Amino acid sequence: MGASVIETTEAAFEPLLQFDMEMETFLSDWHHCDHVSSYLARMISHNRTDPVRHSNFFSSALNELLEVSFRGGTTDGKMGLAIYRQGETERVQLSFPCPVGQARFYREAVSKTRDSDAQARYLDAISNDLAPSRESVLLDLAVNYDARLRLDESAAPAITLIVDLPLEGMVS
Amino acid sequence: MIAAGLPQRFKVAFDPNSQIFSLAGTIRPRSIDEIAESIHALREAIDAVRGVLYIDVKRLIQMNNTAFQAFIRVALDACRERSDLRLIIITSSVVGWTTRMFRHLSAIEPQISVEVYDSMFYPGQSFVEDTSFIPILRTQTKMTWRHERDILPRHGMRPGIAMADICCGIGDFAVLVQKEFEPGRIVALDHSRASLAYARKVASDFGVTGIEYTFGDASEMLIEDNQFDFVTCRHSLQIFNQPELLLKELFRICKPGGRVYITNEKNSHCLGEPRANSIQWTYTEVAKLFSHFEMDVELGPKSRRYLAEAGFDDILVESFMVTNLDGDPQDFADMIAAWENVYAGEMAVKRGDPPEYIERFRQGFRDHIFAALHPKGYAGWPIWAASGRKPV
Repeated sequence: MGASVIETTEAAFEPLLQFDMEMETFLSDWHHCDHVSSYLARMISHNRTDPVRHSNFFSSALNELLEVSFRGGTTDGKMGLAIYRQGETERVQLSFPCPVGQARFYREAVSKTRDSDAQARYLDAISNDLAPSRESVLLDLAVNYDARLRLDESAAPAITLIVDLPLEGMVS
Repeated sequence: MIAAGLPQRFKVAFDPNSQIFSLAGTIRPRSIDEIAESIHALREAIDAVRGVLYIDVKRLIQMNNTAFQAFIRVALDACRERSDLRLIIITSSVVGWTTRMFRHLSAIEPQISVEVYDSMFYPGQSFVEDTSFIPILRTQTKMTWRHERDILPRHGMRPGIAMADICCGIGDFAVLVQKEFEPGRIVALDHSRASLAYARKVASDFGVTGIEYTFGDASEMLIEDNQFDFVTCRHSLQIFNQPELLLKELFRICKPGGRVYITNEKNSHCLGEPRANSIQWTYTEVAKLFSHFEMDVELGPKSRRYLAEAGFDDILVESFMVTNLDGDPQDFADMIAAWENVYAGEMAVKRGDPPEYIERFRQGFRDHIFAALHPKGYAGWPIWAASGRKPV
């Protein structure tokens, strides 16, 4: 995904907040995923039509993304989380450093979320796997949250997952 | 039981008598090992039942994919091993993601079905959530507000506090509170989507911002513990068949040291002159009618007991009488006319009362209206306001 495409799209999205954290600190406690997702969800949901339910829904999706970065990230550098809004959609941009070679894995996993068989893949994963893979977590976001996912690799070795979540319409 | 490793955030329970396995709270483990005990509990529950096992996730606030796949793995394996087994998963319409995630299971495994728990969560819901009731709710709030505006500060209302109005109905009380007391935050929750839509429109039309209206089940709220300095719940305990459950939730979301404020009626004490006997008979019958539908509109004076049994201290109780002399007597008359329509026109009919009973029942309301509009008449509607402090 080219950076110019992202910039063009971002022009229409209003920035809500930016959250940065040293990866070493982030990875020091699994509960950071829960705490950060719950806290930020409450902050950005306060002026949604149903703030309590939007926050619950958004926290659920954001936590999964943070868990992906927790499981796949490395300790050097920072994780960056930016949230934007356009109409009924929130955009989450989650950047984190990951091991060399992992970008390809994320590129393929993100690509599969847009395939026509995404739901079939997701059902197959939850039918047969004992634990969720990072791929099935991204499929979960696409299938259950109607998320649209993209990947930005312009800051390698860090990657940026860009996830549009149209939750307002689903909650209201 | 409380799940190990996630203290106080996640509960599992199995009721063998009703064959219900329930998951509640927030469960976001890093690995399956952290929830091994709970997974084992589900396996044991499945082994213990014959026929149907209900898996209740109505109060499941958060669950990550790690936990989701671990639990459904057990469910799917059990269905593959036992053709006699049926699993019914009960999700909540309030928690949006649960229904979307669990719905897939019925597509994967025919022995699993998913039901969304929503309507009829208390017996009188269909009467009190009828949109035709909205105008009269506005009139009622207008009349009680004249009294409550003075009463509320004695129970803990003050500017800048975090407040929740549970069972907010059409939200007019929250708007009045916002204007009069300027709390720092108001969350207003109700289970009627129509009432909430009306509430949001009224707030928007009047330029009132800052009230967070939310759809929810008051007896199982998504709101976290210890959030509010002041929690109000007006005229609602009396229409729940299990008011103690509701109070438990009000207690939970109230901060230690904060207060929960409730108002309730004692309908049989509605009064009027002239035609006192007819009025008294009808309202005594109102109490019996509500009781038939598992609602206690005599609850007002029981507020002290309910608050004490829910764990509150420093309990304050007072009563006030809304009368035809408060403002325009026609407002009082309109309210009684609306009561007559719902109580005699709908509820008594649904109970199967004979026409001659309903006619006599109606007459008491008409006499109450007569008393309210009579130049020398007096008509009253008594209400009990009570509050308790959550111990620090």
